[in-house]
Amino acid sequence: MTPIVLIVLMIGIPSLILLLYIFIKGSMGLRRYILTRIGLTLPMIFVLATLVFVVMRVLPGDPVRSALGPKGTPEMVEHMRENLGLNRPLIEQYGVFLMDMASLDFGKSLIGGHRPIIDEMSERFPATLELIVPASILALVIGIVGGTYAASKRKAAPDYLLRIYSVVIYSLPIFWFGLMLQLLFGVWWKILPISGRIDPVIGTSLHKMTNMYLIDSLLSANWPALESVALHLVLPTVTLGLVLSGVFVRMTRINVIETLQADYIAAARARGIRERVVVYGHALKNAMIPVITLIGLQVAILLAGAVLTETIFSWPGMGGYLVQRISARDYTAVQSVITMFALLVALISLAVDIIYSLLDPRVRY
Amino acid sequence: MPPTEEKNTLVKPETETWKSDMERVGFVRRLFMARNWYGADWWFVAISTVMVFAFIFVALFPGLLAPFKFDQVVGTSFLAPGEYPDVPVLIVRSESPVEKLLDLAVPAEAIRPTVGVIQGAPAATAVNEQSKTLDAQLISENKGLRLRPRIERYVTVEELMVAIDTGLVQAGVANLKEFDAVASSYPSLHSGASITSETASAGGFRMGTNDIGQDVLSRLIWGTRVALIVGFSSSSISLLLGVPLGLMAGYFGGSFDRLLSLLMDSLYAFPGLILAIAITAVLGPSIYNVIVAIAVLYIPTYYRIVRGQTLAVKEEVYIEAAQSIGARRGEILWKYIYPNVIPSIAIVFSVNVADAILTGAGLSFLGLGMPPTIADWGIDLARGQRYIQTAWWLITFPGIAIMLVVLAFTMMGEGLMEIYNPKLRER
Repeated sequence: MTPIVLIVLMIGIPSLILLLYIFIKGSMGLRRYILTRIGLTLPMIFVLATLVFVVMRVLPGDPVRSALGPKGTPEMVEHMRENLGLNRPLIEQYGVFLMDMASLDFGKSLIGGHRPIIDEMSERFPATLELIVPASILALVIGIVGGTYAASKRKAAPDYLLRIYSVVIYSLPIFWFGLMLQLLFGVWWKILPISGRIDPVIGTSLHKMTNMYLIDSLLSANWPALESVALHLVLPTVTLGLVLSGVFVRMTRINVIETLQADYIAAARARGIRERVVVYGHALKNAMIPVITLIGLQVAILLAGAVLTETIFSWPGMGGYLVQRISARDYTAVQSVITMFALLVALISLAVDIIYSLLDPRVRY
Repeated sequence: MPPTEEKNTLVKPETETWKSDMERVGFVRRLFMARNWYGADWWFVAISTVMVFAFIFVALFPGLLAPFKFDQVVGTSFLAPGEYPDVPVLIVRSESPVEKLLDLAVPAEAIRPTVGVIQGAPAATAVNEQSKTLDAQLISENKGLRLRPRIERYVTVEELMVAIDTGLVQAGVANLKEFDAVASSYPSLHSGASITSETASAGGFRMGTNDIGQDVLSRLIWGTRVALIVGFSSSSISLLLGVPLGLMAGYFGGSFDRLLSLLMDSLYAFPGLILAIAITAVLGPSIYNVIVAIAVLYIPTYYRIVRGQTLAVKEEVYIEAAQSIGARRGEILWKYIYPNVIPSIAIVFSVNVADAILTGAGLSFLGLGMPPTIADWGIDLARGQRYIQTAWWLITFPGIAIMLVVLAFTMMGEGLMEIYNPKLRER
């Protein structure tokens, strides 16, 4: 069983069961909402796939010629076109492309051992997952705690500082921030590793089942590996997480401030409930609902950030793979990775919307 | 809305006239009235505006501000900020007219000048080679001048300095660092020009030099131009495409709107940088392709906001009035709806320029944006990353430059938002 299948099963089966449970238990309105939302995701995936097709095949530029380089003879070019089906009419190519993507058949790599791209991606995707999940959690924690604190100390020093923080963080180029962290912690103080996922020596002792090293080392109770993986994870996670956190601070702050002006907050205060309980107990819970939609919108920033973070930290994930294959002119791989990203965006925003509809009963079609 | 409205629970009668005055005051007045932006003062916005104009000035006239051209090799590679380029320089007495090696050229029949060097130093060979090339040049120019200095060798720097000081030799050649170490004991001596092609900058280079000996500061200043060109032109293209599409989709509605919105929403959801990576990877690295790629990304930003506003404005009574007096649809769009969306466009544009600069820098950091001959911050960062272990200054300064430019445009966008829409003040 390849790692990707394992991961798909690990995430897919519980979420399907959950979805089914919600669907059966939920009200009529909820059911209709979920169905409509899924119905809307399909055209979105279709449009995204078409977009990838247009960019990769219709735009001027010849992938075959650039893949073969100046040494490619006209016969070689012709042969490769034949193999890739690039000499067929555009509309036929489009049909084949859509069919391939629907059956998740990404073709074979143009370079190296000509391995199936799905295999190559299944090695890299877990690495990306291992990076973006902790980073999002970090961003959310900073965002919610910071935003709520700023809202509760409105127009006082902590509020101003946190607002400046979110503007500055927004303007921070993520690749530069990563480099600065590397310089400080890796080069000057030498306390954290700056590249890779695990110490290469320890890495040989790790049994890679899911290719998510944190889970692998936990499952096999390999403590030195766990330590090494955790240390390697710190800088990339902090880079990506902090850069994302700016928007979350900002949004949480606005929402909490708005909620604090609601009548039931005044009622709670009038009953003599302590301010901290009012802010964190009453206001935050309701202010969180719009923040969840925001998570869906941040997926794009998260994935784009992941590409840059992976490049800086030589993290062997999807983003690093994409950049590496672009310079190797392996255009089937590039096309597949981008389609994967598009799929991921569509699915995550679907998931976020469904969660949102559960939390806020007002959201119905 | 005046900023103090929510604080005044007791509405004083004069507030009403003041409020109506507020509605009539112009842009500049509002700038001074709305003081609570960011909880800081209006100067917060003023600073960002000044920064934006400063960056535009730098981008327009980089040649005035940069000490060197961006592709000029000016010193030894990897000089830290302020570090002296350790090049061999000519050392002469302060009153001597000699400043560079060529000044030692004399008519062919005159007495050859003497130049002192330190035995075995690389400077000794350098002075020999350099005077030979210069001499060959002088012969070809045929002015009767020759440069054939006699070389006098000394064992220590001190001996050489004394020799120059006492006039035993017309000039000496020593490395700048060696000279600086003893310069205080010989106040009558000063260092002249470098005898090699490298520039001897006495104070060192403010931000150091890069791997091939270019001045980091100069590249930074020239890079402003590329960043702003990418930011402004890509945002302008997306504005020119996104605004009309948004206006039409919002006003006409129907299946045109639905189709376009599906396309735009998909484009909006797609990770921008990744799409730009794909486009530039297919089109090849060039500044035009970067601009096109980024412009495509930000069309939905304009489209969505303009469409939303058009939908809201469409229901207003004055639109109905215009329709009833027989205004054509194009006229209504252009004269009644379009002016309402201008403020939002200005805000989006400013924030958009910031985003575009960030994306452009990210692209060239990945090696996909600009051809490597251009002075660009992203390229400089990517080049510097290879030398992270030894040269911190290569990756520090370009990043600060990107951050400041993006910060300036973002802050200006937010400031504009406060001015045009004080209701959003607390957002």
